[in-house]
Amino acid sequence: MENIHIPGTHGANFIPTVDFNAETGICTLGGESYLEDTVEFYAPLFKWLKNFTAETKKLIVFNFKLKYFNTSSSKCIIDILHILRKYQEKGGEIEVNWFYDSSEEDIEDELEEIEDFMIETNIKINMIPE
Amino acid sequence: MDYSKQINIVDYHRNLDQNVPISYKGPIDEKILQAIGSHIESILSDHPKAGKKIFKIFIELAQNISYYSAEKSIYKDKKEIGSGMVLIGETEESYSFVTGNLVRNEDILSIIDKSEIINSLDREELREYKREQRKLPKGPKGGAHIGLIMVALTSDNPLDIEVTPIDDDHSFFSIAVKIDK
Repeated sequence: MENIHIPGTHGANFIPTVDFNAETGICTLGGESYLEDTVEFYAPLFKWLKNFTAETKKLIVFNFKLKYFNTSSSKCIIDILHILRKYQEKGGEIEVNWFYDSSEEDIEDELEEIEDFMIETNIKINMIPE
Repeated sequence: MDYSKQINIVDYHRNLDQNVPISYKGPIDEKILQAIGSHIESILSDHPKAGKKIFKIFIELAQNISYYSAEKSIYKDKKEIGSGMVLIGETEESYSFVTGNLVRNEDILSIIDKSEIINSLDREELREYKREQRKLPKGPKGGAHIGLIMVALTSDNPLDIEVTPIDDDHSFFSIAVKIDK
């Protein structure tokens, strides 16, 4: 399987940095996510994850290192977590980490949102301050 | 020559309060979003917490205008972009963030309903409402139906909604939120 690497940009849209690695099973989504058409950007990522979870037996480590994401992106984060959840339900092993900047001014809002992601998807997310 | 009568810039100027660090009226496309967004980041750097909140609120409300405003501008590439207004006001204790745009009357009731539900809920209930709404199928371009809920959660203050009838088909919808410094 081919890996996905997309360098993030902070331009007219905020394109997140994507690193999905089929050899190591480590997937990282970082940077900022605000796009004109969120579905168009995330659909290939969902497809990759669905294919990967269908053929691998590896531990999948998913690292979120997002500094900013809008509400449309939050829906896509939930979709990613659902794909990982399905992999876990059929016996796959997953580890989901959320890295956050504890010095960030409005960190309470972010922590609340991650807690809501866990409630919505029934997945354990390890909160890792950086 | 009577060009100035078409757009009365003196009235527009007079009608704006003194402390308005940002005001914009027009089509809201990606470039405008970026320009206003980075301007917000720079002028609000004295109050980073409020600045970050205003930035988040701005993105959600401006994106709503760009997708849903009933007033459209058509660009050269035939792309339709929603038009509206964005204002930031400042007092000693807080910022106010205001947007306004035309909405078709058939759409206005659902927006008012949603805003009233949001204003009737406390923070925990609001989070539950957000989780429920996020389960609904995505809107056009991936909309998550939770922009206004997120605005209320981020500002931690009620939404101030005003609807002014314009004609048989349209109303002017404005939303103001307060962000404490």
